[in-house]
Amino acid sequence: MGFEPIKILYSLLSLFIIFNIGMLINGITRKIGARVGRRHGIRFYQPYIDLVKNYALRSNITHGIMFYLGPVFRLTGGIGVYLFVPAIYGSEYFGNFSFAGDLVLITYFIFFGTLGMALGAGEGGHPYSAIGISRGLAQVTAAEIPLVIAFLGAAIQYQSLSVTEMVALQQGGIQNWTLVTNPLLTAVALIAYLGTMMRSPFDIVLAPQEIPIGPPTEYHSTFLGVLQTNRAIFPMAKTVLFMNVFFGGATNWGVLILKVFLIYMWSVFVGVVFPRFRVDHSIRWFYKYALPLGLVALAATSLLIK
Amino acid sequence: MVNPIYLFVIALAAGFLLSLIDKAGRSAALTVFYAALAAMAGISAQAFIAILGGAESAMIFTAGFKPPFSINLQMGLEESFFTMIVNVLGLLSGIYLVKKLKTEKVYALVLYLMMIMGLNGLIMTRDLFNLFVFLEITSIATYSLIGIERNIRSLSAGFKYMIAGGLASMFFLIGTIYLYRFTGVLHLDSMAEALDLASGPAVVLAVFTLLISVLIELKPFPANGWALDVYEAADDGLVAVIASASSAAMLFVLYKITPLLNGTLLLAVAGIGLTTFVLSNLMGLMQHSPKRLLGYSSIGQIGLIMGVYALLVHSGAASEPMTLLLVAGGLFINHFIAKAGLFWLAGLVGKDSLEGWHVLRKKPVLVFMFGVFILALVGLPPFPGFFAKWQLVMVFSEKGLTLATVLVLLGSFLEAAYLFRWLGKVLKTEGEGEVKTSFAQGLPLTLSALALIGLGAGFSLWIPGGSGLKILYLPMLLAAALFLLDFLPAWVKNTLVILLMSLYAWQLLPGLEGYRFLFGIIFLAGGVLLLIPGYAFKGKRRGFYPFAVMMYAGLAALLISESTLQLFAAWEIMTLGSYFLIIRGKRSEPHALSYMLFSIGGAFVMLMGLGLLYGVNGQSLALTSLETLTQSAGVIFLLIMLGFLTKIASMGLHIWLPGAHGEAETDVSPMVSAILLKAGMFGLIVLMSAIRRPMIGNVDITYWMSWLGAITVFLGNLLAIYQEDAKRLLAYSSVGNLGYVLFGLSMMTHMGWLTSIAFALNHFLFKALLFLAIGGVVMRVKTKNMYEMGGLIKRMPVSFISVLIGIIALSGVPPLSGYAGKWLTFNILLEKGWYLQGLVLIIGGLIAFLYCFRLIYAVFLGQLKDNHRRVKEAPLPVLIPQIILMIAIMFFSAYPGLVLHPVGDFLLKYFPQGAISWQNNTALTAYGHWDGLAVLIITGVMFASVFALLLITNRKAQKVGQFNIVYAAERPSRPELTHVGYNFFAHYRKALGIFSRPFAVKFWDGVSEFAHSAADLFRKIYSGNGQTYLVHIILFVVVVYAFVTGG
Amino acid sequence: MTLITILGFILIVIGIWGMLSQSNIIKIIIGFSIVDTGIHLVMVSIGYLKDRTAPILDETVGKAEALARVVDPVPSALVLTAIVIGLAVTALMLAYAVKLHEMKGSLDIHDLKELKW
Repeated sequence: MGFEPIKILYSLLSLFIIFNIGMLINGITRKIGARVGRRHGIRFYQPYIDLVKNYALRSNITHGIMFYLGPVFRLTGGIGVYLFVPAIYGSEYFGNFSFAGDLVLITYFIFFGTLGMALGAGEGGHPYSAIGISRGLAQVTAAEIPLVIAFLGAAIQYQSLSVTEMVALQQGGIQNWTLVTNPLLTAVALIAYLGTMMRSPFDIVLAPQEIPIGPPTEYHSTFLGVLQTNRAIFPMAKTVLFMNVFFGGATNWGVLILKVFLIYMWSVFVGVVFPRFRVDHSIRWFYKYALPLGLVALAATSLLIK
Repeated sequence: MVNPIYLFVIALAAGFLLSLIDKAGRSAALTVFYAALAAMAGISAQAFIAILGGAESAMIFTAGFKPPFSINLQMGLEESFFTMIVNVLGLLSGIYLVKKLKTEKVYALVLYLMMIMGLNGLIMTRDLFNLFVFLEITSIATYSLIGIERNIRSLSAGFKYMIAGGLASMFFLIGTIYLYRFTGVLHLDSMAEALDLASGPAVVLAVFTLLISVLIELKPFPANGWALDVYEAADDGLVAVIASASSAAMLFVLYKITPLLNGTLLLAVAGIGLTTFVLSNLMGLMQHSPKRLLGYSSIGQIGLIMGVYALLVHSGAASEPMTLLLVAGGLFINHFIAKAGLFWLAGLVGKDSLEGWHVLRKKPVLVFMFGVFILALVGLPPFPGFFAKWQLVMVFSEKGLTLATVLVLLGSFLEAAYLFRWLGKVLKTEGEGEVKTSFAQGLPLTLSALALIGLGAGFSLWIPGGSGLKILYLPMLLAAALFLLDFLPAWVKNTLVILLMSLYAWQLLPGLEGYRFLFGIIFLAGGVLLLIPGYAFKGKRRGFYPFAVMMYAGLAALLISESTLQLFAAWEIMTLGSYFLIIRGKRSEPHALSYMLFSIGGAFVMLMGLGLLYGVNGQSLALTSLETLTQSAGVIFLLIMLGFLTKIASMGLHIWLPGAHGEAETDVSPMVSAILLKAGMFGLIVLMSAIRRPMIGNVDITYWMSWLGAITVFLGNLLAIYQEDAKRLLAYSSVGNLGYVLFGLSMMTHMGWLTSIAFALNHFLFKALLFLAIGGVVMRVKTKNMYEMGGLIKRMPVSFISVLIGIIALSGVPPLSGYAGKWLTFNILLEKGWYLQGLVLIIGGLIAFLYCFRLIYAVFLGQLKDNHRRVKEAPLPVLIPQIILMIAIMFFSAYPGLVLHPVGDFLLKYFPQGAISWQNNTALTAYGHWDGLAVLIITGVMFASVFALLLITNRKAQKVGQFNIVYAAERPSRPELTHVGYNFFAHYRKALGIFSRPFAVKFWDGVSEFAHSAADLFRKIYSGNGQTYLVHIILFVVVVYAFVTGG
Repeated sequence: MTLITILGFILIVIGIWGMLSQSNIIKIIIGFSIVDTGIHLVMVSIGYLKDRTAPILDETVGKAEALARVVDPVPSALVLTAIVIGLAVTALMLAYAVKLHEMKGSLDIHDLKELKW
């Protein structure tokens, strides 16, 4: 594990692949949502069209330097999370930049984009931006509880913080996956996954955007393009991480795409079935249900390794 | 040596002549009066010096008979010392009273002389009946002097005093006559030989009766209502004599009759003394009248001195004269001078409320003296009371007198509470008015303040282990010099202090090793850095630099402390300096008080621990003796630890911090937050590196420390998100951050400590940065409420960048330095297996994001307010250290190994196992890996690429005005309407409910409320009715007798 | 314990009782005087030895036999001093009473409660 210049190219390729997966999944997801609501829905390649349109728009305004940098932070965060995750197990070139850090690095790097975006939107001076961010941050800290428990539990189980190591220990069939060896912990992880995906029932954060103003309206044209790019990459990056830690990882792109798609669908299905929580409810929910379940899972995990 | 009989001859002769001479004019009479007092002071001083130089004690026998047949006066070492201080005080108070004595009838002069002479007699006589006579002479003179005042308060107090005194005399006479009957002598020494207390209850009763009379004169609880009234009502010059000189003489009488007492009686004296000390200081809490407050304090202190003295005798410690001198003598002389000084000051100020004393502020010299007296009374260094209290705790612990130690410290704490409250009021209350001083009034004050300082220096030499205190001399001298240079402009003093501190650091740092070096960098290099913003202050900044130097002196001395005494003295000096820095803030008064009280409380608990250590470890003062501790290690650990925990504001002990750090001045906040808090951590490291497995029974203390650390992180951060005040938000964040430090240390592993140090270093960097940046903003916008700010990024871009870097480092988001701690935390969790605490800690850490965002958003983003459209960037001196700190953060982020690697190397000394291994810049543990530089570069490249992409596609972005937003079909035109800042995380409060309630504040409020209610309840016994006071005395006698006879 | 001693103590108790039960300052002072007298009686009675003569060395009592034949002179000397002092204190108390009456117009000790707590 070290750095070689050629890796940059492979990483870019890897990034490109995951970006397209993300775009397609986004389109499909919206189609599913529409169908559940008995609507016809968009074409599955609609996100590409939107993206091109947004990048091509000429009217641009900015509220200041931090406003300008907000999307930059956001996308850097999304790309970064992906690049610190080893995407394909055993591949020397699609291991990305995981040599720079381990699971902890990724866990905390998730906040890089969130924080930066929050700052950018903050400079816009729009009150709904502030409200949305305040809700978003509050909910993220609560949703991180099961996430931290899940990752900590995995680290305890594998006595390692290295994602590559975790995947290595899950090789050799489904019976070695964390899903099977430690189902309780995986359950916690799946709850955490719901919390981080910003889908219903935990999508109140996006609510200010739906009143037709708020960050995405303030952030229009190219800015919105950057944000959309991130919305393709960031959820996929997180999904790849979950796949690595709990679902055995992937040794080639095919397996990766399949697993990522299935895991992502979990949040989609839950999302279309359940209505959304208010933010104080969702915080409570995480403290009240996810936390105890997580503690039980942790206890079980520590027993498991003994 | 002059024959001491002249003390009486001069007084009597002058007394008789005064009425005659007065006919020639008052100035002639006054000349004789002062000449007599001066001569008496001179004679006794000369005797003291002579005897100290080896001369024989002088004996005076009446009519040429030898005792026991004659009345015998003695002038030995003790007598000469006591007469000297009494006479000097008499002279000074006489000078103080000159204006009054000019107008009073000549009898006042005579009576005053008689009073002083009577005190001399009380001290010198060895004959019991003669003692009575001198007692009465003194009393009658005092009663008359009180009665001369023509006001009803003074008269009624005097009358109550007479009734009580009469009763005391009755007991004295009965005791004397029966002792005479049982022993056949009145001469004290012969009586002590002849007395056999075992021969029957009647003998005990006789001694008891004598003793109780002396005790009543020493104003024990509850038989002391009359004394309080006298202290409150009588003239200040006179009260100074009564409170100091008369009490001194009576204490000496107690000393003289000690040979007559047995163990039970001594214990009774001890119990009465310490009870009085605790209760009268408790009641002092409720006092608003300065002189009555001083009365309570006096009564308490005298109780302390007699209680401590009795215990020293009872435990046999008094057989070592030096111990008696240092402990009882130290407490005594400390109170003697300080109390006289305070009563004199009370006369100068002449206000009936504590608040009214702010008039002192017009005269900095008087404030200085007031401070000296108060600090001496509280027992802080560098005054004699500090050393006496230290030695007291050591000796008591060695003798196993735990309860007494607790009582002494409890009483001292209560006293500190009201004295510091008073000091705070003097320093902070606003108002008009001035104090008029004259030379005659200034002289005694100046001399007594100087005497306290001089004696403090003396005690620091005499005390066992005192030679180690030399490390504090130079810095304290510098602080003293700065008091004298206070008239210079601030920038001159600032330059001077920066230069001297740099020089000192240059000298000191190379000699330090291991963690001491690291803390040296934080304390001293950090100190110099944080002095730079001082250039932004105009004018003289009076009283800032001496205390800043004191604080840094204490911190530096901590680093090189090798003995417990050095450590404790340095600790107190540091606390003292920081108190005066903190109280400089506009609204700091209550917060500085609570800081001081928690500090003193913590220090006292620590002192108990150090005393215990001294006791069980063969009276060793060396810090290394902690390592060889075989018994009571857990208890000692716990006690000392509690002291340090107060300083790092662990949950429950944290309530002082937000106010103290939040209300302080721009450059003080970072000093006390980024630097001073680390002192507590340093202490913990010293302690924990010595005692590795602190157990009480089967309980491992470190396990509970880890819980405390985790809860501190969680609640500290949670409370931070609710703050509207930017600086308080940062202050709460400090509480949380020190929780990490505690947690890491409690792991007791290599990596745990490394984590702790990483957090500490990081906290130093970002908290200094944030406090400076926010302080700069506050200086400009004149408010600390975040919802009143907004949009300041456009006006103060550098401060914005500081805060941005600061919060990223704080939150632990890669790529900046805060991540080091987070990464290590996961590693130590896996290593140690304390997952639950770890989880609380990590969740708490996540909550930090909320306040980080709120801080930067509500201040710098959102809508710029109309009244801030013209604010300027923070002053350059405030920005410079910020830039340096940002560079440091960047450096630490890129090359964490350069710091953590050597730190890890010296930690090997304590924990050889479980170190991190380093491959170039990559840190490797058994569990994970991290390359700070790589993360920084990758993030940087990604950021730059995306930014470039955006710039290319979005090059014609058009800047729009502030109100170019639309919501709910409104176009806002007022920033106030659109800046969402107030109660930003309301939903979080709603969701977490119970955790957000300020339990600790309520708890401590309750404690304070309880103490005040109890005080109010107790003091109601002093109904003001003379007959009630009489009943108190009689009840007191009965109860004590019941105790003494065990029935 | 002789009768006089007992009498002395009874006087002391009466005096204290008076000081406690009477609110008039003058009466309190009188109570104090009674206490004083009681003490003096006690003191004298301690020195008194039955069937002995006054401690004066003259023809009737020689130096050699003095120790066996005279009463103890010291308590008597003490009592003299004590009486003088008692007198002074009593006088001072009365002076106080006069002044208090001048200023306050009352001699009731319950009225002297300006200072309390």
